[in-house]
Amino acid sequence: MNSVGEACTDLKRDYDQCFNRWFAEKFLKGDRSGDPCTETFRKYQLCVQKAIKEKDIPVDGVEFMGPNKDKPES
Amino acid sequence: MKIWSTEHAFSYPWETVIKAAMRKYPNPMNPNVVGVDVLDRSLDSEGRLHSHRLLSTEWGLPGIVRAILGTNHTQTYVKELSIVDPSQKKMELCSSNITLTNLISVDERLVYRPHPQNPEVTVLTQEAIITVKGVSLGSYLEGMMVRSMSANARKGWDAIEWIIQNSERERSSL
Repeated sequence: MNSVGEACTDLKRDYDQCFNRWFAEKFLKGDRSGDPCTETFRKYQLCVQKAIKEKDIPVDGVEFMGPNKDKPES
Repeated sequence: MKIWSTEHAFSYPWETVIKAAMRKYPNPMNPNVVGVDVLDRSLDSEGRLHSHRLLSTEWGLPGIVRAILGTNHTQTYVKELSIVDPSQKKMELCSSNITLTNLISVDERLVYRPHPQNPEVTVLTQEAIITVKGVSLGSYLEGMMVRSMSANARKGWDAIEWIIQNSERERSSL
């Protein structure tokens, strides 16, 4: 699966592999030991945030519909 | 505004379904989802995992349709928030489109829980609120969207099953 930023796809893949392993083998089994993926996540995030800005994707300022909330127009 | 809801049972235990749900894309049933990114992820004080994700979808809209919609972008984007509670065995996802919001809002909520009587079965309850804005055939279009959501929901369930079966195939060939 690709990233929204084409240049970030490899970093995303590294992070996803780390996360999926931790999620299945630790998190779901109740193991509360530390998250081993923070470094790969950080590198991946730097790339993604840059791509989002470049593509002008409106990720901020949208609240999720809750029982009392209304989504702002954009 | 139209509200749609449905329920589906997977013949797999909760952990199996959740692992598949977290890795749902790519899959052959949802070819329009072309990108998935994690924007943020954290554990809260109760040990629940919160994830913020961005999904990029490509519908292959012809140029003239894009001109009518007033958009230069070929991709639409969806923001998804999920919470996985491993001790309560509950996964909740909320998603909302963040582009074309001046025309349409599709807000979806999915909850995966074990079947109350059978731990080998997982129940997915799904609901959506669809609002088409500022168009005179709004109500008619909303009705069409609801029918489309039912077809898409079925694809979503097939996608989860496909991911589960693919993982089982991978494991047995090791």
